[in-house]
Amino acid sequence: MFFWILVAVLTAAVAAVLLLPLLRAGGRSNVDDTNDAEVYRDQLEELMRDEAAGLIGKAEAELARAEIARRLIAATAREGASRSGQHPATTRRRNLLAQALIIVVMPAVGLCLYLSAGHPELPAQPLAARLANPGNDVNILIAKAEAHLAENPDDGAGWDILAPIYYRNGRIEDSANAYREGIRVLGPSAARLDGYAEALIALSGGIVTKDAREVLQQSQALDAGNPRTRFYLALALEQEGRRDEALAAFEALAKDSPADAPWLPLVKRHVAGLSRGEQAKPPGNPDAGQVAAADEMTPDDRRQMIAGMVESLADRLKEDPHNFEGWMRIIRSYAVLDQRQAAEDALRTALKNFPPQSENGRQLLALADELAIKVEGSGQ
Amino acid sequence: MTRKQKRLAVIGGGVGFLVAAVLLVMFAFSQSIAYFYVPGDLATANVPPGTRIRLGGLVETGTVKRGEGSTVTFAVTDTIGTVPVTYTGILPDLFREGQGVVAEGSFASGSSVFVADTVLAKHDETYMPKDVADRLKAQGVTLSGKETIR
Amino acid sequence: MIIEIGHYALILVLATSIVQSLLPLAGTLRNDPALMAVAPAAATAGFLLTLFSFSVLTFAYVTSDFSVRNVWENSHSLKPMIYKVSGVWGNHEGSMMLWLLILAFFSALVATFGGNLPDRLKANVLAVQGWITAAFALFILLTSNPFLRLDPAPGEGKDLNPILQDVGLAIHPPLLYLGYVGFSVCFSFAIAALIDGRIDAAWARWVRPWALMAWSFLTAGIAMGSYWAYYELGWGGWWFWDPVENASFMPWLAGTALLHSALVMEKREALKIWTVLLAILTFSLSLLGTFLVRSGVLTSVHAFATDPTRGVFILAILIVFIGGALSLFAFRAPALKAGGLFAPISREGALVFNNLILTTAAATVLTGTLYPLVLESLTGEKISVGAPFFNLTFGLLMVPLLLAVPFGPLLAWKRGDVLAAGQRLFAAVGVGLALAAIVQWMHGGGPVLSYFGLALGFYMLAGSVTDLALRAGVGKVSAGIARKRLFGLPGSAFGTALAHFGLGVTVIGIVAVSAFETEHVVEMKPGATVTAGGYTLTFDGMRQGRGANYTEESGHFSISRAGVKAGEVWSSKRFYTARRMPTTEAGIRTFGFSQLYVSLGDQMGDGGIVVRVWWKPMILCIWFGTLIMMAGGAVSLFDRRLRIGAPQGARTTKAAARLEAAE
Repeated sequence: MFFWILVAVLTAAVAAVLLLPLLRAGGRSNVDDTNDAEVYRDQLEELMRDEAAGLIGKAEAELARAEIARRLIAATAREGASRSGQHPATTRRRNLLAQALIIVVMPAVGLCLYLSAGHPELPAQPLAARLANPGNDVNILIAKAEAHLAENPDDGAGWDILAPIYYRNGRIEDSANAYREGIRVLGPSAARLDGYAEALIALSGGIVTKDAREVLQQSQALDAGNPRTRFYLALALEQEGRRDEALAAFEALAKDSPADAPWLPLVKRHVAGLSRGEQAKPPGNPDAGQVAAADEMTPDDRRQMIAGMVESLADRLKEDPHNFEGWMRIIRSYAVLDQRQAAEDALRTALKNFPPQSENGRQLLALADELAIKVEGSGQ
Repeated sequence: MTRKQKRLAVIGGGVGFLVAAVLLVMFAFSQSIAYFYVPGDLATANVPPGTRIRLGGLVETGTVKRGEGSTVTFAVTDTIGTVPVTYTGILPDLFREGQGVVAEGSFASGSSVFVADTVLAKHDETYMPKDVADRLKAQGVTLSGKETIR
Repeated sequence: MIIEIGHYALILVLATSIVQSLLPLAGTLRNDPALMAVAPAAATAGFLLTLFSFSVLTFAYVTSDFSVRNVWENSHSLKPMIYKVSGVWGNHEGSMMLWLLILAFFSALVATFGGNLPDRLKANVLAVQGWITAAFALFILLTSNPFLRLDPAPGEGKDLNPILQDVGLAIHPPLLYLGYVGFSVCFSFAIAALIDGRIDAAWARWVRPWALMAWSFLTAGIAMGSYWAYYELGWGGWWFWDPVENASFMPWLAGTALLHSALVMEKREALKIWTVLLAILTFSLSLLGTFLVRSGVLTSVHAFATDPTRGVFILAILIVFIGGALSLFAFRAPALKAGGLFAPISREGALVFNNLILTTAAATVLTGTLYPLVLESLTGEKISVGAPFFNLTFGLLMVPLLLAVPFGPLLAWKRGDVLAAGQRLFAAVGVGLALAAIVQWMHGGGPVLSYFGLALGFYMLAGSVTDLALRAGVGKVSAGIARKRLFGLPGSAFGTALAHFGLGVTVIGIVAVSAFETEHVVEMKPGATVTAGGYTLTFDGMRQGRGANYTEESGHFSISRAGVKAGEVWSSKRFYTARRMPTTEAGIRTFGFSQLYVSLGDQMGDGGIVVRVWWKPMILCIWFGTLIMMAGGAVSLFDRRLRIGAPQGARTTKAAARLEAAE
C-alpha cells in the first residue's frame, strides 16, 4: 500500500512541476529577441586585436570592419523592428488541452508500463541483509558456503557438503567441480568418486561416459561392495549393449542388497527388463543419475524434467547424428514418454546413420523390438 | 577572377578531391578486402596461394600441436572440410579445442597449409564469431549460447 | 521497494519526455510562452527522475541485489566495489541507462543555463531533446529494462566479463557517452533552426561551445578506450579499426569538422547551411554508432548481448531521426539565407578544406565499416575490411590535412595570402626537417617515409608555436610587450594552438610506433633473456597468486640496460572463476614516452613459457597528444567570449586597456 502511495505522490509531484508553467500567469517573453548585435560587436573587437597583432593587413581590416559594421547596423535595425513590431499578444488562454495531456499522460503511461513489467510486491533484497538472515533461502546458504570456500579453497569438508547440494539444485556442473575439488583436497573416497561419476553422468544426459566409467572403476577399487558404484557400472554395461553381462551384474547387485534397500526396486526393474528383453520402466536407466532428485518431485515435474532432457538430447543429436548411445537413449525415452510416433521417427533417422546391417544398426533394431516399435524396413 | 569563376574553381576543386577519394577507396578495396571462408567452401572455391582470406570454423579436437618455439599448428573444421593451419605467436586467451575461431592469413604456395598471421577466438562463453556461427548454422550445426559443439 | 520506485521513475521519464516533446512545439507554433515554458520544467524533472532511477540501479549493484535480473547477470558479490559501480554500465541495459542519464543531463543544462536563449529557440531545442529522450526511454523500457526482477533471488551473480573488470570501464564509457550525447544538443539546435527557418549569427555561438565540449569528451573517451584496449587485451595494439572503434571515430571526425565550420559561421556568417548539415550528420553518426554497437549486427568486445528486437528498435530510431532530420533539412534548407562569400585562399578557405577532408575521411571510414554489412545483406557474401584498407585510405587523406593545419590559423579571414603564410612557416618546416634528420642520425634504420612522417609531426608542433609567437608579435616588439600580448590573447587562440600542437604530438607517436616498434615472440625458461629496444629482459620465474574473484599466474622479468638494472615487470594470466574465463594482464614498463610491453602465452611442457615482448617507442605520445588536444578544447571552451550568452562588459574595457598599453 505504502508503495502505491509513493507512486501516487511521485506522479502528482512531477505532473505539478509540468503544470506550473501553464498555470503561472504573466511571465516575461523575449520570443523574438536575437543576440546578433552582440556577436557582431565581439567580432569587431577581435578584428581590432588581429590588426594590432599584424595578422591582417590595414586595407583588409578596413574592408572587414566595414562589412561587420554593415551587418551590425542591419541586425540592430532588425531587432528594433521586431521589438516594436510584433510582441505577441500573450494570450492567457488556459491551455486546457495541454493541461489535460499532462494530467492524463503521466499516470496513464506510468501505470500501463509499470503494471506490465513491474513487481510491486517484491522488496529490495540486498545480499548483505539476506546473508545476515538467510532463513530457508537455499540460494543464500549455497552462496555463503561458496564465499567461505572461495576464501578457503582447501576446506575439503566444505566441498563435500556443497557438492550434493549443488546436485540436488540442478547445478550439475558446479557439483562435478565441487566433487573434483573435494577429491583434490581430501583424496579419493568411494562416496566422492561416486558422486563425481553421478554428476558426470547427469552432465552427459544420463550416458555413462568413458570418463565416468573410469571414475567408477576407481571407486570400485576402493570399495568393491558399494551398491551405487555397482549399479552405475552395470548401467554402463547395459548402455554398451552388453546385455548378458549387465544382467549378471544387476542380478548380483540385487542378491547382495538387503531386502529393504531403497535402490532395490530400481535394480529389479533393470533385471526384469534385461531378462525379458523388454523396456525398462520409467524413469528408465538413462535418468538414473537424477532419480534421486526426481523422486522428490511431483509426477508432473518429473515428467517435465524428463521431457526437457529428451529435448536437449534431441538437439544434440541434430548436431551430431553419429552419437549411437544418444539414439539408443532417445528412442527409449520417447517410448517411456509414450510418444510412439516420435520414437518411430527417431528410430528411422537413427537407422539412416547406422544401417540395419551394421553392428549398431542391429542393436537399434533389437531395441525397437524390445519396445515394440515398428518401422518399415526394420521388419526382418 | 569573377565571383562565378571563383565559385566554380572552389566547387571544381571539391569535386575533384571527392573523385580522387572515391578512386582511392576503390583501389584500397581491391587491395585489402579479405573474403571469409569456412573449410567446406575451399574444395570448390579455389583460393590462389598468397590471397588474404579469413578462415573460420571450429578448432578440431586433438589437433593443436606446439612446434618449435611459438609456432602452433591446428586444424580448423566445419564438419564438412578440414584445413591445417600454422600460426606463429601467442594464441588468444580463449582459444580452445572445439571452439570457434577465425584465422586470417593465406595459403602457402604449393601446399594446403593455411599460414595465419592473426587468430581471433571468441570473447566469452556465449560469443561466437558471427561469421562462423552463421555459416555453421547454414550447414546444420546449431550453436546456441553455451550449447556449442563438444 | 526502492527498486520498484526506481523502475516507476524510469517510466515517468518517458511520460515527461513525451510532454517535453509535444507542448513546447505547440507553444512555438501558437506563439504561446506558457506552453514554451513547459520545456525547461519537463527537462529538469526528466533529468531528476533519470538520475534517481540510475541511482537506484547503482544501489542495487552496490548492495548485490540479485533479485534484480540485470544485477544477477552482470555482477558478483566478491567483485571489488569500483567494479560493482562501473559494472552498472558494463552491460547493455545499464549502458543505455547511462546514455539516457547523460542525455537528460544535457537537456537539463540547456534548460538551466539557456536563460539567454531566445524562448522560441530554447523551446524548440528542448522539444527535439524530448523526442530523443522519449525514443531511448521507450527503447530501454520495452527491450532492455534493467529493472526486471527474479523471484526467488539467486544467491550469487554471474559476474562481469573479466575483460571489463578494469578502471577503464569506470572512465571510458561515461566519457564516450558525454561526447556522443553531447552532439545531440548540436543536433537539436540544428533541427530547431530548421523548424523555425532561421539561423542567426548568435546560433553558431551557442552551438560552438556544445560542439567543443562534446568533442573534448569524445576525444578523451576514444583515447581512453584506445589505451584501455592497448593494455587490457594483451595484443599490444592501440587501434584495430574494429567496427566499434570506427563507430566512435566517425562522429569524432564529423564533430571536428563541425567545430571548425561553426567557427566560420560565427566569425563570417558563411557556411550556415553546411554547419546545420554537419550538426545533423555528427549526431546521426553517433546514433549509427549506437546502432552498430547495441544491435548485435557486429560482434566485438563491446557488443554485450544480441537480441534481434533491439536491433530492429534501434534501427527504427535511426531511420526516424536521421531520415526525419535530413528530410527536414532538404525541405527547409533552401529557405535559409546563404552566407557570405570568400576567396579560396583565406581562413575560411582553409577551414573548408579541413571540412572537406574530414568529412571525406569520415565517409571513407563509414564505407569501410558498412560495406561488409551491406554486401552480406545483398549478396550473402562475407568479407572483412581490415586495417590495411583504413591505413591506406585514411592515412593518405590525412597527409594534406596535416600539412595544411599550421597554415589555417595564419591565413587572414576573407582573403588570405598563402605565400606570406608560407614564409612565416618557413622556420617551422625547417625545424621539422632538422628534428627528423637528428632522429635519423641518432636512431637510424626504419623506412625513409617514416622520417617524413616525423618531420610532419615536428612541423605541426613548430607551426602552432609560430602561430602563438606571431600573434604575440615576437620579433616585432620588445620581449616584455610580446609576453604581455601573449597572455592577453583570447583563450580560443591558445585553444587552437594547443589542439594543433597535441595533434602533432599524436602524429609523432603514431609514426614512431608504426615504424620503429619491435616485436619478439620467444619461448623462455627461467634465466633466459631477450633484448628489445636496447633493454634486456631476464625471465626470473612464475608465481601463483589470487585476487578477490580470480586466480593468476604471474611471470617476473627483470629489465636491465647495458648491464645496469633498469626495473622489473610482472606479466600475468588470470583465470576468473565465476565465468571460467582466462585473461591476459600484460606487463608494461614505461621509459620516458616509450614502453616495454610483455605478455605471456602458453606454458610449454618443459617448464618454458611463450613470451611476447614489444618495444613501443614514443607510444605514450599518442595519448599524451590527445590529452593536449582535449586541453585545447577546454581552454577554448573557457574563452569568455564563447560562454553561452556571457555578457561582454568588464572584459571589453580590460582588453581595450591592454591594447592601448601594447601600442
